[in-house]
Order: sequence, then C-alpha cells, then structure tokens
Amino acid sequence: MRRGRAGAWLVLVVVFVYYLVPMIAMTRFAFQRIPVIKLSFGNLFDKWTIAPLIETFKEPEFRSSASLSVQLAIATAALTLILLVPTMAVAHLRSKRMRRMIELSSTLPFVVPAIALVVGFAGAFRETLPMFIRSPFGLVPLYVITALPFTHRALENGLAALDLRTLVDASQSLGATWYRTVVFVIVPNIRASIATAAFLALTVVLGEFTIASLLLKNTLPLYLSYSQGQNPQGSFAVGLVLILISTIFVASSNRLGKVVRS
Amino acid sequence: MTGKVAFSNVSKSFGAVKALVEFSLSIDEGELLTLLGPSGCGKSTALRVAAGFETPDSGDVSIGGTSILSLPANKRGIGMVFQNYSLFPHLTVTQNLEFGMRVRNISRDKRSARVGELLELVRLSGLSDRYPHQISGGQQQRVALARALAVEPRVLLLDEPLSSLDATVRIEVREEIRRIQRASGIATIFVTHDQEEALAISDRICVMSIGRIEQVGAPDVVYRSPATEFVARFVGKVNDIEIEVLSSTKARLHGHSQEIEIASAGKNAGLGAARLLIRPEDVQIVRPDSARPNVRGTVKTINFGGATTTADVEISGTGHLVRVADSTRNMRYRVGDSVHIAFDTERALLARGGA
Repeated sequence: MRRGRAGAWLVLVVVFVYYLVPMIAMTRFAFQRIPVIKLSFGNLFDKWTIAPLIETFKEPEFRSSASLSVQLAIATAALTLILLVPTMAVAHLRSKRMRRMIELSSTLPFVVPAIALVVGFAGAFRETLPMFIRSPFGLVPLYVITALPFTHRALENGLAALDLRTLVDASQSLGATWYRTVVFVIVPNIRASIATAAFLALTVVLGEFTIASLLLKNTLPLYLSYSQGQNPQGSFAVGLVLILISTIFVASSNRLGKVVRS
Repeated sequence: MTGKVAFSNVSKSFGAVKALVEFSLSIDEGELLTLLGPSGCGKSTALRVAAGFETPDSGDVSIGGTSILSLPANKRGIGMVFQNYSLFPHLTVTQNLEFGMRVRNISRDKRSARVGELLELVRLSGLSDRYPHQISGGQQQRVALARALAVEPRVLLLDEPLSSLDATVRIEVREEIRRIQRASGIATIFVTHDQEEALAISDRICVMSIGRIEQVGAPDVVYRSPATEFVARFVGKVNDIEIEVLSSTKARLHGHSQEIEIASAGKNAGLGAARLLIRPEDVQIVRPDSARPNVRGTVKTINFGGATTTADVEISGTGHLVRVADSTRNMRYRVGDSVHIAFDTERALLARGGA
C-alpha cells in the first residue's frame, strides 16, 4: 500500500517536472532581457520585464488576431450552448437512444482528424455557400464540433445529476411552456455545467491551430506561430498568457464541477 | 372551480405492455379517490394521462364534462405532487410557491398574499426563505402540495407523494394531505401501492391490477367485501384455506371431517374443490363447547402487534395454517396451546380451484 502510494507520488513528480521545466524555460526566455545562451541559475532573478508582452499587445496584427479569436471563442461557446442544452435535455427526457447517439457523436472529433473535417467542410460549402468559407465565422461550427467531446461531457454530467423528468413535469403542471421550463427551470439548475462547457469551449478555441491554418484564418494561435521568427520573446510571452488563461478556465470548470457535485 | 373528473374507456400501451385497458372511472367534486395496486398495474399511467404527460391510445378524460385530451399539460389546470421531490432546487420555498402564479402573471401583491395563506395552510410559515435542501423530506412534500394548490387547480393529482418519507413522517404528512384536501374541496386522485395508506386517506378506493379496475368502493367495503380474489389478497391479510363445497351453505375443510357454514361466500360457488379467502379477524378462537361449528388446532406462533395480536393455528390432522387476529387483551394463548377455531364466513370470499 505504502509502496503503491510512493510510486504514485513519483509518477506525479516526474510529470510535474516534465511540464514545469519547459514552462520555466519559456517564462525566463519571454520575460528576462538576457540572451538565451547566457541564461543560468546565477541570473535567475535578473532583468525581469513585461516589455515583450506590452510591445506585442501594441502590434495591430496581434490585436486583430486576438480580437478574432476572442470573438470566435464567444460565438463557439454561445452556439454550443444554444444547440446542446435543449437537444440534450430533450434526449434525457424522451429517448435513451437519442442520448446514446449524441454521446457517440460527441466522441467523433477524437477519431476524425481536423484535416478530414476541413476538407469535407470546404468541399461541401465552397460551391454552395462560399461566403461561409470566406468569413472567419465559418470556423465556429467546426470549433463547436471540435469542442464537443468536452462540452458534451460537462452538460451530460449536469443533466444526469438532476431528476429532469420530475422537474419538467412539475414545471408544466404549474402551467409553464417548454421555453419557460428550459429557461427558468433547466438552465438555472445546470448553470455550473453550462459555465464549465463554455469555459472548455473558450479554451479549445483559443488554442486551436490546425483548422484555422488550413482555412487560412488569422487567429491568435496562427499569429503566435508566424510571429515566432520576428518577435520570439513576444510570441512566447503571449503564449504563456494564453496558457495561464486556459489554466484559469479549466480550474474554474473543476471548481464549478465540485459545486455541482456538492 | 373544480369539477367531476371522468376517465372513459381509456387504454394505453407501452409496446406490448398494456398499462391501461378500457379504464373507466369518475371522481366527484371534493372527493379523494385512491388508485391502489402493485407496481406496474397502471395507476401512475392513469394519473399521467390525466395530467397530460401521456397520450392515451383510445378513450377520453374529461373535467366538468369537457374533454381535456386536446389540451397540453400546461393548459389543463391540474395540480400535481410527485413521488420524487419535485421542488425546484434553485428557488426558495416562496419562489417555488410563486412559480405557477408568475406563469399566470398574477400581481406581486396577490402572489404574496396567496403564499402567506398557503404557508399557513401547510404550517410552514417560518420556512419561506429556505431552499429545498434546507428543509426535511416531509416539509418538501408539504411545500410541493402547497405549490400545486397555489394555482387553484381544478383537480389535484398525488403520485405516491409519501413513498420517499419514513414511516412516522409518512403518517403525519398523510393526515396533513387529508386535512388540506378537505379544506380545499378539490377533486383529488391519490396513487399508492400501500393499502394501509389507501384505507386511511380515501373517500373511495379503486383497486387496480394489470391495467384493469378490480373494485371501486369505500375503504371499509373494499376491505370487508372484496369483489375479487386479487382485492382480497392485496388489501389486507387473508387466509387461503382449501375446502370442499358440499352445498350452497356447507363446506368441509380439505382433509378434515368438520363441516363449516359458508352462507354468503358460497352463494355463487359450485360444488367441489374451492378455496376460502377469509380475513384473520373473521376467524375466532372459541370454547370447545361453542355452539358454532369449530375445529381443533395448535397455536404455532404468536405475533404481537401492539393493540392487535395474531396467532397462527395449525388445524389438527390437516396441516392447514390459519391466521387468527384479535385484540391483544383477548389473545391470551401461548405457542403449543390446543385451541378451537370457528370461521365467520359472512364476508369471506370463495375462489375456485384448490385440491
């Protein structure tokens, strides 16, 4: 028992070091005004600055790509919730089969590569809806699909924790319409799951590279990738900020999950 | 305004399972009728059809003479209390009570006044700001009842509202429901599988089995004069004794020479093997020299039940075990005592079959 626990701790420490060492290296590279070949333990606390971040924030290309990514993230989170909450609620109430189908569909992004998704998407809409391909917001449905494994799970947990059938029947017996039942009964009772799904959708969009790259949309991850040659310190600094934001989102999701369970 | 509720030839199937078969029943204004039966007998389905949560395959449901089948659940004006706790967890007691009134756009002043009345009715005035998880199960069901009454429904449906409560609270809430139902005068359908609950709370009981009505009647009638073998067995305890019918008034215990009278029970019985279904309290321990026909037996077990005690008596020479119930005051026997028992078959039921 004790040996097992020690083994678990060892694995945890190895994983922690595996992630932490590059993070520390990245942080020092981004925020210390010291040439990379001269970085050592001796100058660990010297010449720290946030200037690379501020300089990057001032760049118009950064601003436009960051703004686009934020808009896409919000649109993705909104579309995900508008589509998934009523659909999953109906599936929970009326059809176990539909519930299983949604669950199965939600895992497809794990097995369908992004390139296949983009090729299919572009092939289908290039002739029929070219505006859809040209507009950066054409990315939103693809991002909804990409984030589905995470967003579906978050909402599924929230709905499964409720006695949805009884709450909906009670609401309707009191005279509420389906719309009122969704807005005033179901949504408030899964608000933590909704927030978790939204955070996860935001996190996925802020880090997504392949789809945006293949469809030639200048999102933040693409900006970071392209600007590494010209402004390596700045792009690493912004990358770190993104990691921090994502970590906060994921931590918030976990915290909300605990609130739901309690 | 309330109204008479009527089910007319309602049938409902779920795949191959027939939940309701030609179900016809009416509930008068102010009446509390209980649908009683084992799990899967269709009692909750009947309730859900009335509430609008299930659509019947055929038949009609009306309130005050008007069919309600074409109306969606939220337009039927029916209040419902559920088996599971159904209060909205994110709303306080007051907000739960106000929910239906908000849907109907009732003014804030009227809502507040009504909430006050309802809280007083269910005796929970001090809990208005609590959330459901901050009150007990019994209190939650009382709030659920008040919430159902808040919208002044034409009919009240109670779907096993006591089944999640423990025994003591269950009796308390049961009495509370009866008091409130009488005060409100609303036609009420109460669903339960607990015969004791049904006998205690109802004006009338409708005993159901496999989607069909077995008997409808006042609690004492259903208990004392069961119409079918199923009712006799399901409502209360019953002795099932193999007999041989000799005539319309006489029978003999199977394997025993003693004849007993079966005056009422034997009215429609043919001759030959049959089974006598008789309540334990209709079997009495008598003196050996009693004028009534009696048989000798031995007390095998004594079951103390507070005010009433039962004894299982094995009839000599047959191995038949007959349960006898009497007041604890009269039941002064011990295991192994030799006794004589007589059968009061006035309210007993005769079933075909047996040895």
